[in-house]
Amino acid sequence: MTSDVGKMNETKSRSELSDIFYHLVRDPLGLVGLIIVGLIVFSAIFAPWIVPYDPIAMNIPDRMQGPSLSHLVGTDQLGRDTFSRVIMGGRVALQVAIPTIGGAITIGLILGMIAGYGPKWLDNVIVLLFDTVRSFPTVMFALAVVALVGPSLNTVILVIMVTSIPTYGRVVRTLTQSLRNSEFIEAERSLGASVFRIMRVHILPNVIGPIAVLAAMDIPTVIGLEAGLSFLGMGVKPPTPSWGSLLNDGYNLIRNTPWLIIAGGIPLILTTLGFTFLGEALRDVVDPKLRGRGK
Amino acid sequence: MIGYIFKRLGLAAIITVLAVTLLFLIIHMIPGDPITTMLGPRATPELRAALEERMGLDKPLPIQIVLFFTNMLRGDLGTDVFSGRAVTAIVFGQLPYTLALIFVSITWAAILGITLGCYSAVNRNSLGDRLAGILSVSVIAVPAFVVSLYSLLLFAVKLKWFPAIGAGEPGNLPDQFWHLVLPSLAIGLSWVGYIARLVRASMLEVLGEGHIRTARAFGLPKSWITYKYALRLAILPTVTVIGVGMGFLLSAAVFTEIVFSRPGLGKLVIDSITTRNYPVVMGSVLFSTLIFVASTTLADIINALLDPRTRKGS
Amino acid sequence: MSTPTLDIRNLSVSYSTPRGELKALRNVSIQIPNKKIVGIVGESGCGKSTLISAISKLMATNATVKSGEIEFHNSDILKISNQQMSELLGTDISLVFQDPMQTHNPVLSIGRQMVDIQFRDRLSKVEKYNRASEMLSLVGIPDAEERLKQYPFEFSGGMRQRIAIAMALMAKPSLLIADEPTTALDATLEVQIIKRLRELQDEIGCSILFISHHLGVIAELCDEVVVMYAGEVVESGSVRDVFHSPAHPYTKALLECDPGHIKEKTRNLPTIPGEIPDLVNLSTGCVFAERCSKKHDACEERPQFSSLNTEHFVACHLTGQENAL
Repeated sequence: MTSDVGKMNETKSRSELSDIFYHLVRDPLGLVGLIIVGLIVFSAIFAPWIVPYDPIAMNIPDRMQGPSLSHLVGTDQLGRDTFSRVIMGGRVALQVAIPTIGGAITIGLILGMIAGYGPKWLDNVIVLLFDTVRSFPTVMFALAVVALVGPSLNTVILVIMVTSIPTYGRVVRTLTQSLRNSEFIEAERSLGASVFRIMRVHILPNVIGPIAVLAAMDIPTVIGLEAGLSFLGMGVKPPTPSWGSLLNDGYNLIRNTPWLIIAGGIPLILTTLGFTFLGEALRDVVDPKLRGRGK
Repeated sequence: MIGYIFKRLGLAAIITVLAVTLLFLIIHMIPGDPITTMLGPRATPELRAALEERMGLDKPLPIQIVLFFTNMLRGDLGTDVFSGRAVTAIVFGQLPYTLALIFVSITWAAILGITLGCYSAVNRNSLGDRLAGILSVSVIAVPAFVVSLYSLLLFAVKLKWFPAIGAGEPGNLPDQFWHLVLPSLAIGLSWVGYIARLVRASMLEVLGEGHIRTARAFGLPKSWITYKYALRLAILPTVTVIGVGMGFLLSAAVFTEIVFSRPGLGKLVIDSITTRNYPVVMGSVLFSTLIFVASTTLADIINALLDPRTRKGS
Repeated sequence: MSTPTLDIRNLSVSYSTPRGELKALRNVSIQIPNKKIVGIVGESGCGKSTLISAISKLMATNATVKSGEIEFHNSDILKISNQQMSELLGTDISLVFQDPMQTHNPVLSIGRQMVDIQFRDRLSKVEKYNRASEMLSLVGIPDAEERLKQYPFEFSGGMRQRIAIAMALMAKPSLLIADEPTTALDATLEVQIIKRLRELQDEIGCSILFISHHLGVIAELCDEVVVMYAGEVVESGSVRDVFHSPAHPYTKALLECDPGHIKEKTRNLPTIPGEIPDLVNLSTGCVFAERCSKKHDACEERPQFSSLNTEHFVACHLTGQENAL
């Protein structure tokens, strides 16, 4: 009998995915978000093949050109094609965002479920940990770490991941706490289901929705953070193109050409909009369902 | 009420202690040696030993932590590696600029955001509401430093309406204010959207509650109901949000200060990192953490003051 | 006969919903005579809330008045402006709502709220506070002056409802509309509040429109009663006539199912089988026909109102056949 309830939850998740997708496409903002995100992911994956020029190939004679037919957005101070750097920058952005958020979600999930489901003292400890990590202004913290270790992509990933963990952890914890007392879990408990089973089969599927919404809203923040750190010179090392480093170049050359700043900023804005719209639409889809569940 | 304040302050103190300790531990656990980072690879053993001793890094870790705390309570955050000045003094010198920037940013963002949110809630689903909604969502996540760069490009460099650099002449308040316009607009923009949405949602929720229906049933004027009754309740979450948002505000300020070459905590940190001025970096980070903890605590306390239910512990 | 305080004639209200037009009220006519207490009885979905929202002009945005007049103080409420209506609310017409826990603003003291509703009066604040504390004592709240400083959460449900009644009667309205004011309270409280309400009505001399599904309370408190079903009035008359000689099958069934009326001990409480009809897709016949044990061919047509005596009206073919007008 326990397996039936479990199967119910599992089949629920599968058909819900297509359900969610269906609703997303209906929402105009969601559709726009989906398209933008799709474009970005696509260009990120296929970047090496789409770029018209090698992003790090210097070509001094052609430096500092404005947009033209051969260079869609012009060239930078070392003659590199800006458009190619923009596309490759997208790849870097996702290369940072995905492990960061993936890691934060994983650890946040585990800690959050433990906090919500386990003994009170453990909950208190974990919450205190969360609050402590959260008390650091993220950028300041990242800067402090970079000050010691030196700039690198991996540092950025690690730091942002650690500071993001409480965001997911808290949500998972609250959800777990509310689900913990719901009737079907009590039923499972009385039937002797193990804690892991309950967490895996019952709490997890109910938590995924809000987490996905959170992640979608968080991605632009993470990408923005990476871009910001790279802009400050604390992120990726040159010549790797990041939107942030493009903006840095643009900033240094602001009185010579506006194009680098424009080129660096637009993908950031687009990415932000795309993921935010997607997140909003997702939230509209997930939320009313969530309210109907755990009752 | 007093009890709540004490409890909240106590929690803040604990978190501060933990945060500082955590910072310390992380610094020491991270591969990479601050001394090497500061002195470079050509450091001689004597130089290293001297610097180590000067910075107290030769003592065992727990003692370092305790020493740091005792010093911190005395207001001593160490000394600048190069000039020998007290870190605390250096930080305090730059702090007002950052605080001014943050304060102005959040003030105009709150005023505009609350107005917009209120309007949206009262005129729900009107054209204005929908437009405001889309705009709000759009501006929320755009990174502040991108907005800073664009506004710098457009308004300062191209159009030359506003100054591009600095905080203005000291002592000349209007000039300083003029220098604040673009940076505070840049930081405040995403907050307008965020606050507007929050207030709208909050207002809608409050407007649907039973006591608003009662107020209407007694013929109370609409403006009275909207502002004195509904808005007063709807604002509560905004207060907390601003308190918690101080962390983001500080981060945004860092970027904005760099973009507009303004003095402040952010610029201080960046410069110190470049010159490997380790104590100043740590001091600044610590200070911003303290500010953050203070603001969240303050927000919670204000929230409790405004809502009598938390006050009397219902 | 003097003009009734409230005269509702042929009121029809519909809501526009995604499924279609939901006809919540159809040709409802109710009169509330001067200084009398009229009760409205009916299960959920009978249209009581819609009726109240129409009278107070606090309707939902998707509601439309399809026809009818609501006459109060020589003007038609449906035709006056919102501004004029808000002048009536809280002065000549007062409301008491069902859930006392949601009625008051949680962050303002009771005193402040009771002073606020006196905003039209040119009295000093002290005088307004005194008036408030007088009202509180009148509804049976001790230490009124002290309690004015307290917040809603410091009062129990029963007390909050008394406060609501105090607020409603403070301006000495001509009409008090009470929407199931005692439903959320336990039986002993209910008795006390009803008693107090009766006394106050006597003193102040207002009319009351009292909505409830608790037949015992209606019998105790009201002079007249109107029975509503699925948006229509099916029977109306004096409490005595309607409850002692119910003419409509629905009224009869309600009385049979009322736990207070059941004389023998039984394990199975009687219920009325079936559910209220879909208000979007209504049949043309009698609205109660589906659930009626006495349904017959004539019920395919809407029954007209027939009178059993000067006050007792019923909409049922059976009565029509028995007492042809």
